[in-house]
Amino acid sequence: MFWPSANAMLRAQIIKKRRDLDVNVALELEQGCSLGLFGASGAGKSTVLACIAGIEEPDGGYVKLGNLQFFPPSLPLHKRPVGYLTQEPGLFPHLSVRENISFGIPHERSTDNEQIRWIETLRDRLQLGPLWQAPASLISGGQARRVGLARMLARKPPLVLLDEPFAGLDRDLVRELIDALVFWSRTLGFSMIAVDHQAEVLRRLCPQRAVVLEHGAIVQQGAWDDLYAAPATPRLRSLLAPL
Amino acid sequence: MTIDRRWFARIGATLFALALLYPFTALFARIGPWQWGADVRGPALSSVRVSLLLTGCAMVIIVAIGTPVAAYVARCRMRERLLWQAVLLVPILLPPLALGILLTLAFGPYGTVGAWLEHFGIVMTNSATAFVATQVYVGMGYYVLGAVAAFDAVPPILQKQAALLGLTPWKVFLRVTLPLSRLGLAVALSIAWVRAIGEFGAVVVTAYYPSGMPVQLWVNLQSFGLPAVMPLLLVFLAVALPLPWLVHVLAQRQRHA
Repeated sequence: MFWPSANAMLRAQIIKKRRDLDVNVALELEQGCSLGLFGASGAGKSTVLACIAGIEEPDGGYVKLGNLQFFPPSLPLHKRPVGYLTQEPGLFPHLSVRENISFGIPHERSTDNEQIRWIETLRDRLQLGPLWQAPASLISGGQARRVGLARMLARKPPLVLLDEPFAGLDRDLVRELIDALVFWSRTLGFSMIAVDHQAEVLRRLCPQRAVVLEHGAIVQQGAWDDLYAAPATPRLRSLLAPL
Repeated sequence: MTIDRRWFARIGATLFALALLYPFTALFARIGPWQWGADVRGPALSSVRVSLLLTGCAMVIIVAIGTPVAAYVARCRMRERLLWQAVLLVPILLPPLALGILLTLAFGPYGTVGAWLEHFGIVMTNSATAFVATQVYVGMGYYVLGAVAAFDAVPPILQKQAALLGLTPWKVFLRVTLPLSRLGLAVALSIAWVRAIGEFGAVVVTAYYPSGMPVQLWVNLQSFGLPAVMPLLLVFLAVALPLPWLVHVLAQRQRHA
């Protein structure tokens, strides 16, 4: 399996024409850094993430991770070293929790001691032990989100994309998952782009940098403190205001 | 639904089932003693062997060719997909007798392909090959259309997730698409089986010999009358029903698992 070098920087310009919105967003992200993509619903955040992952194909622009060109031409999904987690984690219902988490591990690596320890670490940190043999179709939404996170991280991808992965979960679980993600992003050194429409969640998950989208374009980017101090648009001011 | 309504629905369903099975009361019609002597039994059992063995071969061919075709059609865009579906509907829509005539003309000794095949010793009329080929033509459309629907039911995001986890398209098909669509595929196969094993109109034209069960029923009717038809009819139900029924039992179990 090919993983880009340790200093793989993400460079992307996503041009995507949707029926209701034209998206044109350029992003750069250093290896090991995180970026919170913030904005109201329908601003084009998920489209940007899906285009980087390859779930959707952009109409123009480029996506590059280090020397690996994702687009154009479109690199097949199985060659993209990307972890992608959405609100609906897309677990394989015909497999158990354990089988879901080990799903992307090549057979020759599945008996590797380091790999086994890493899977056990994920299991213990995300409290998946009691569910380990349970069918994925029978676990709750919150449990499924934890399994999805473990499955995504099992392969230690250098780039992690999170599309509102905590929507609808209780605060304790959200805090627990964010802490785990932040810890592993530091220890494993993966880059992370997260999308959410809750600024609090995103700030905790990606404290380094925020990019704000409105109507498919970037309206402001920088440190979170700057965003709060001087929001660039009335819409952003409203989104950042406490309830 | 209240209990009263449930009973009302159950009574309605029972009446429907009775109406559906009513023709089978004719098995008890007064037609004289059933004939199952050696002159009836021998050809009848031979036709059972022919039907089971050759329909089994036809199913293997249908699955081997039909599954990848269905996987391709399921991924086509709307316009191309409609074209393929029209192609698959043609042999289904055609009256079986007409299909048999067309197959005989196309693959018989006077057709271009038939003459070419005969050159290699493959006889496409009144042969086991003709029997299997006819059943493949008869059952293929049913299987592929059912398989396309089964593949459609697999959420595309699961296939994309599997690919993002590093699986090649072939492995995604084997590890995600196939397991998640297997019940739909099994139902499609059972429908193709039912259609092929009971086929008479096309087979009687292309492969009167070797006689399968439907043709033997016709032969018995012509040669001995109804008393020789009824026992073979029972044998037909006994050997043709278990496979599709088993598929539905498995589907039911899976749903309640």
